[in-house]
Amino acid sequence: MDKVVDLYLNQVSTRKKWKSFLETKGIHDFSDREIDVIDHTLGLIDDEGNLVATGSIAGNVLKYIAVSNDEVIAGARFNKIVSSLQQYLFSNQIFHCFVFTKAKYSSSFKHLGFKELALSEQAAFLEYGDPNIEDYLNNLPQVHDQKNKKVAAVVMNANPFTLGHRYLVEKASNENDLVYVFVVKEDLSLFSTAERMKLVKEGTQDLSNVEVVSGEEYMVSSATFPAYFLKSAAELIDVQTTIDAKVFKNFVAPKLNIKSRYLGEEPFSRTTNSYNKKLQEILSPEVKVIIIPRLREKDKIVNATEVRKYIKTGSLDKIEAFLPKTTYDFIKNNLLELQDRIKKGTNVNGN
Amino acid sequence: MEIKKTGVAGTLESSDIQVMISKGSNGIEIELDSEVKKAYGDQIEKVITETIKNYGLNDVKVKAVDKGALDCVIKARTLAAAQRATETSDQPDLEVL
Repeated sequence: MDKVVDLYLNQVSTRKKWKSFLETKGIHDFSDREIDVIDHTLGLIDDEGNLVATGSIAGNVLKYIAVSNDEVIAGARFNKIVSSLQQYLFSNQIFHCFVFTKAKYSSSFKHLGFKELALSEQAAFLEYGDPNIEDYLNNLPQVHDQKNKKVAAVVMNANPFTLGHRYLVEKASNENDLVYVFVVKEDLSLFSTAERMKLVKEGTQDLSNVEVVSGEEYMVSSATFPAYFLKSAAELIDVQTTIDAKVFKNFVAPKLNIKSRYLGEEPFSRTTNSYNKKLQEILSPEVKVIIIPRLREKDKIVNATEVRKYIKTGSLDKIEAFLPKTTYDFIKNNLLELQDRIKKGTNVNGN
Repeated sequence: MEIKKTGVAGTLESSDIQVMISKGSNGIEIELDSEVKKAYGDQIEKVITETIKNYGLNDVKVKAVDKGALDCVIKARTLAAAQRATETSDQPDLEVL
């Protein structure tokens, strides 16, 4: 009978055993980005003491699941390791979990009651538990007779909310009956999720047909997308965008009757540019992608990355023209705290 | 009886059923996943519904993943999940079984 054991990866010998087991299963990415976020790892040990299955937990995401396939009853070990990971989550009061995995393993997870949110050639994204995507969408604000309204969406990280974001939302607001602004949820940005939400809400308060909501886990961020199961890190952006766009197209857009999605044009960043193209490819024709040229202020493009650079140097006079008053005041009042975060290692570049 | 949080009991292993119970607003709503749903889905849902009703709960969302559990297992798992959801695990009302 196989036994479930805790694996402590900070022990060198355990880590070595774990790693070589995963390598025999075709997993080769053991970068810090993937490993550092792991909270707990479990293993299955057979009667002879061999490691025959493993799985890990990072927040509410299951990772590094691998099972040796020389078992007597097909699937039993997989069920046992996934069940054990879930018990661990439940005992920590986490009742909702996700898995990003190779496309071919989607059916194994579906077999255990996981629901597939998106499937691409390379990857699958599934969830389990409560509250699920239906619950999330049912709880979003809706207007009367939304089926016959013109509804649009903007997805943003807003790190922080600038006049550029405001311009995009305003444009969507003028051209539609209702606009959802989904704020990406991940706490790796300089501004925390709560702060970003607050600034977007304050900065769009005067637009009565705009609803600012959290994207929760359903607006998939590249910052938190696990890449360990992909062939190369270069695939990351492509796979993440595809998965993200498909969740939006399969679930979010039909439920809320969203017919168009507004994006900011990206003249400088090649990643965002290819992201925009990919999005367009997947979302249309059901959801029309509308790309808006960036707002220019005194011939400079309004851009959150620039804003963060000037927060670092403390030159607030340089960014005042780029920001709504609400964001500017927040930065002014919290400048030391923000600079402290930068010093402690929060990345200023990136998204 | 009031549901205070999500409660779950059971595993995804063969012959078991995992029952997750949370607050609902529209009676007892069951989302059942089972390979034998065609043949036994109605029976499984009936056992879950009865157990929950007998426990004194009315508005409940249930997510259940069945791996071929017998009725007695379904009852026990549902009851345990209900006790955890209502935070009454320390005062088991075993007569419901």
